[in-house]
Amino acid sequence: MTWSSPLAGVLLVGAVLVAGAFVVVVVDRAWGSIAAHQRVRVAALVAGPARDGALLLLTRPSTTERPDAQAWVLAPALVVAMAAAVVAAVPLSPGIAVADVDDGIVLIGAAFALVMVGVYLHGWSANSPMPLTGGYRFVALALSYEMPLALVLIAAALPAESLSVGAIVASQHDIWNVVRQPLGLPLYLVVGLGLATWGPLNMADGADLAGGTTAEVSGVSRLSWELARRSVLVAVAVVGAAVFLGGWQGPLLPGWLWMAVKTLVLVAVLTGLGHRVARIRLERFVVVAWAVLIPVALVDVFVSGALAL
Amino acid sequence: MGLISRLAASADVPVFPVVGIGGRTAARSLATLGGIRVVDHPRAAVLMLLVGRPTRSLLRPLLAVHDQLSGPRCTVWWRTGRDGGDELVAALPAVEVLPVGDASALRRVFTELVNGARASDPPALDDIETTPWRGVGPYGQGGSGMTGGTPYGRPLVGRAPDPDGLQLDQLPLQVGPFFGPFPPGLVLHLEVQGDVVRHASLGENPFTRWPGDAPLGPLESGVFFDAVAEVAPVAGLELARARHHLRWASDALRLHGLCSPARRLAALAERIAPGDAELVVRIARQLGRSRSLASVMRGVGVVDPERHGLRQGIVARSTGVPEDARLSDPAYRPLGFEPIVHEGGDAWARFRQRLDEAAQALILAERAGERIRAPGPAVEGPRGALAAGAPSPSGQLLGILPELLVDQEWGDALTIVTSLDLDVEEAAHEVPAEASA
Amino acid sequence: MSGSGAVDIAFWLAGTGSVVAAWLVFRTDSMVRAAYWLLASFVGVGVVMVLLHARFLGLVLVLMMAGEMTIMAVFMVMFMMNPAGLNPMTMVHQHRASKIAGLVAFVGLAYVGLVADFPDRPADVGEDPTAALGRELLGDSMLIFETAGVTLLATMIGSIAIASKKGRYGSGEDGSEAPALEPVTLAAPADRQAPADRQDGETGS
Repeated sequence: MTWSSPLAGVLLVGAVLVAGAFVVVVVDRAWGSIAAHQRVRVAALVAGPARDGALLLLTRPSTTERPDAQAWVLAPALVVAMAAAVVAAVPLSPGIAVADVDDGIVLIGAAFALVMVGVYLHGWSANSPMPLTGGYRFVALALSYEMPLALVLIAAALPAESLSVGAIVASQHDIWNVVRQPLGLPLYLVVGLGLATWGPLNMADGADLAGGTTAEVSGVSRLSWELARRSVLVAVAVVGAAVFLGGWQGPLLPGWLWMAVKTLVLVAVLTGLGHRVARIRLERFVVVAWAVLIPVALVDVFVSGALAL
Repeated sequence: MGLISRLAASADVPVFPVVGIGGRTAARSLATLGGIRVVDHPRAAVLMLLVGRPTRSLLRPLLAVHDQLSGPRCTVWWRTGRDGGDELVAALPAVEVLPVGDASALRRVFTELVNGARASDPPALDDIETTPWRGVGPYGQGGSGMTGGTPYGRPLVGRAPDPDGLQLDQLPLQVGPFFGPFPPGLVLHLEVQGDVVRHASLGENPFTRWPGDAPLGPLESGVFFDAVAEVAPVAGLELARARHHLRWASDALRLHGLCSPARRLAALAERIAPGDAELVVRIARQLGRSRSLASVMRGVGVVDPERHGLRQGIVARSTGVPEDARLSDPAYRPLGFEPIVHEGGDAWARFRQRLDEAAQALILAERAGERIRAPGPAVEGPRGALAAGAPSPSGQLLGILPELLVDQEWGDALTIVTSLDLDVEEAAHEVPAEASA
Repeated sequence: MSGSGAVDIAFWLAGTGSVVAAWLVFRTDSMVRAAYWLLASFVGVGVVMVLLHARFLGLVLVLMMAGEMTIMAVFMVMFMMNPAGLNPMTMVHQHRASKIAGLVAFVGLAYVGLVADFPDRPADVGEDPTAALGRELLGDSMLIFETAGVTLLATMIGSIAIASKKGRYGSGEDGSEAPALEPVTLAAPADRQAPADRQDGETGS
């Protein structure tokens, strides 16, 4: 069986994203119940995503005065497609790789950059003040985290002497990147929150904008947007697990299971932050990103490069 | 389809509350009902819940909100307070009057909508362009120059200098009276450059009482107003104060993205008892240590007691002015009451001030026992001293709001609005109708 | 490479799509749409480069252009007096000049494409193009790229200095304002004669 055949690849990536998005919702709500000091009801947690999804399916899509209809529909599709491209570039196990290309890390960077376009368009095309503000705020955020993202991914590629994600995983046989480059994973997780517009970095869809880019969408469009955000979070966790936590490597368990466990851990960390940390002020984040995150990411690259020599 | 509608019927009921006269208390309890989800924007709701009595100036926005619900949709009405408003509500296509606070009745209507037993409401307003416009140029632009003309009746916005000395667009924007993150009824006319508020002014207070209207209320801070003229148990007043501040803190946490801790505080506020003092002290300390909350609120919306003319009240205490009507209240003298103050006067000081006062109120309630407060002026309400004839604390705070909003980014502006704990109905309560028109 | 037929189809799709998207840049009525049609055109070019085995360059092109085009859209909306960029407007102006410029550019490029004697040096398929690119950038062409890099960096620092809150005309918090173009506020012509003095006087507003 070859995972790079088109049909198998599409099915595998689709399954990872849908199952991942489901897990994101369940884990997020479990954190929510814990933070609210409520009982965690497992049955309601597991059924919750299906119930809310069904309600959104039954709700009629809404429109605004003169939206950019095509871009509005395309935005969530673009974001899901980019999350899928990212997942496809990551080998999930030694035998399971859809497209472990030589330049996988660059592909991931390009796909994450196009996510920014998708989120911005989702806010812009509604032709309504709150979504529009959400879209522009996201651009300000995204332009600030692009550099740290690129730098930490490059730093992770240095010890492997390759841009392929498979080679990066293999290079962590003796020591994981999270230990070898202690600055990498925290920086990457901050950026990941921004990419998925999640928790403290939820600039696009914040409560102060009454939902931001989601303020004018309902029905299937809303469902696809929520799926899109969660698939980006899954893609972020999958890349993080492969690039910093040694990917499929680990004792006893089969490789794909290790990958799933590590992804789940990162999903739990990312969603947990959303219930502990307040949404930051954009201005402050931009200052921190340019004055702290980028220099720290540069240190990460220089140190990793020196060690790799 | 059967499976989907069955699944959908068991989802949490998304409700968008719109608050009329005397509805704020009931609207706040909505968040703590099981199986109900309060949403920020009408698009996400299936039920529009009108709480309290609408006014004439709320009617048009009410109809607009109604039509923003995507459908299936329905309007339900919780009639709180005094009767009336039926002739206004009749403008809505269909209204279901339900018992106040009854979650199962809301769910029944929701289920009927989802499984098709009840038809979705038709729109209340005609879907017409107020200013039909087709443009002259080949791309629908004005025809002269690249952006000439006034597309759709909306002239291109004027330009004004921004703080960096550039000339940038300045967009006029009316927000309210049903904007989710605002206190109900607050209308602001803003001029924004990007997400920076450059100019702000208050809109008409929709709760303004015209001659011949029924009186306002019941207010959320009603027990404190009543205490001016009636005998009141001190413990009751202090419990109401603690509940008020915890509800406010829940709103603030929700605004700052901490929805689940907000749910905890909202639930706690509903069942607060004098014995909870220790718990609230602990929560206040925990939240007061939060670095992320501090960084969001510190330095935002600094109030100067001199310049803003705030001599008393909780906002003044958060600037370091130890003024409190309870100091001179004989009922409080044996309780060893000492006013709490914070320094700084920013949103962060107000946040900690309210949490600390909530904890203090519970301790006072415990100490007060069965003690009774004799009627008399200058009751210390949750926002400041209430005295017959004096302007209400909310009215005073509303007055300083526009100035505080100037040159704030949108997120900070919302932090400021929330941090002042405004009650627009309370502001209309004391001010005579002629003065606020 | 398996299925060169599929590669051919992808090549022609991406190539044609790129040209069509570039044409749509000028047919649309909004700056944001125009910017993103241009991005679509670049993505098409990126795909073509990936298909030509220049994977790294193709992906980097997409990576950079996604950010660039968004910045371009934001800046155009900011400067063009058009709230949010959604008011319809024509994206073309100065028709005669642009027709001439387009025609000249097309004829020139077509002439070069048809007439020039391109070197015929088929690259070794086994060679890693990314590594070769790296050696070129840090080898023979290093001086060129470093010069370009330092120039760009200087430009960036300069523009940040101009745009920063503590801007050219004083602190933004105090209402930074450009000095008037008309020299009406100047007291005597003697003040204008010493350029060295003027630099000091400029911050006085």
